[in-house]
Amino acid sequence: MNLRLKRDRRGVSSIIVVAFSLVIVVAIIANIVLWSYEMNQLDWERMKEEISIINVERDIETNGTRFTFRNEGALTSHLVSLWIINSTNHQRYGIDVVVNSAETKNYLHSDISLPNDQYTVKVATERGNIAVLSG
Amino acid sequence: MVIAVAAMSIAVTATYFITDNLHDTMGERLIVEDVWFTAGKISIYLRNVGKVSIKIAAVYVDHTPQSFTPLELEEKEHGWLNVTYGWSSNSAYHLNIVTNRGTKVVDYYESAS
Repeated sequence: MNLRLKRDRRGVSSIIVVAFSLVIVVAIIANIVLWSYEMNQLDWERMKEEISIINVERDIETNGTRFTFRNEGALTSHLVSLWIINSTNHQRYGIDVVVNSAETKNYLHSDISLPNDQYTVKVATERGNIAVLSG
Repeated sequence: MVIAVAAMSIAVTATYFITDNLHDTMGERLIVEDVWFTAGKISIYLRNVGKVSIKIAAVYVDHTPQSFTPLELEEKEHGWLNVTYGWSSNSAYHLNIVTNRGTKVVDYYESAS
């Protein structure tokens, strides 16, 4: 009688161990599925982003440069990098400009003076898109 | 009972290690902001736009591995990756940047005249 009771307890314990472990395995896999969803969302947002540089001009008052950005995408864009590139230099400026969807925004940077020769202006967004304008 | 505990421990541990690697690999995103051809080297400005830190493991120029300065970028970090390479002017180069988890950024870039 005692022996049978011991065997039954062992059987129940094994079932508990298996059930508990399966819960952990399912939790780990669910975490991966959610992470995959999050990264897909990130890629989707990046594809939906459409930023462009529509004008670059010298600002006479400040002796700096005025940039005009247009967001033609469905999402707000956060511009984080601005590049002024010519044949002798590739200069990067860290910027923090937010352009809402369908907005055209002027951005004045007093520390930037445009090169006299051919140049290219690039802007990078936080999501990883790049807009280019050659002047 | 002992067999059940041992088997399930192996199953849980294996699941954890397999998915942990998958998790990090899926979270890697990297962009090239700029490529600058200077004397004897190619400087590549990289930005980590993913959700995990990245480490550059290899750089190939025209499918040939090249030496480079080590670069690790945390989430949202950015910086120059300097590749030692004797390039020729007005030529297109196939650049392939590979992280230690296997993510690649591949494109053609034209050298300065």
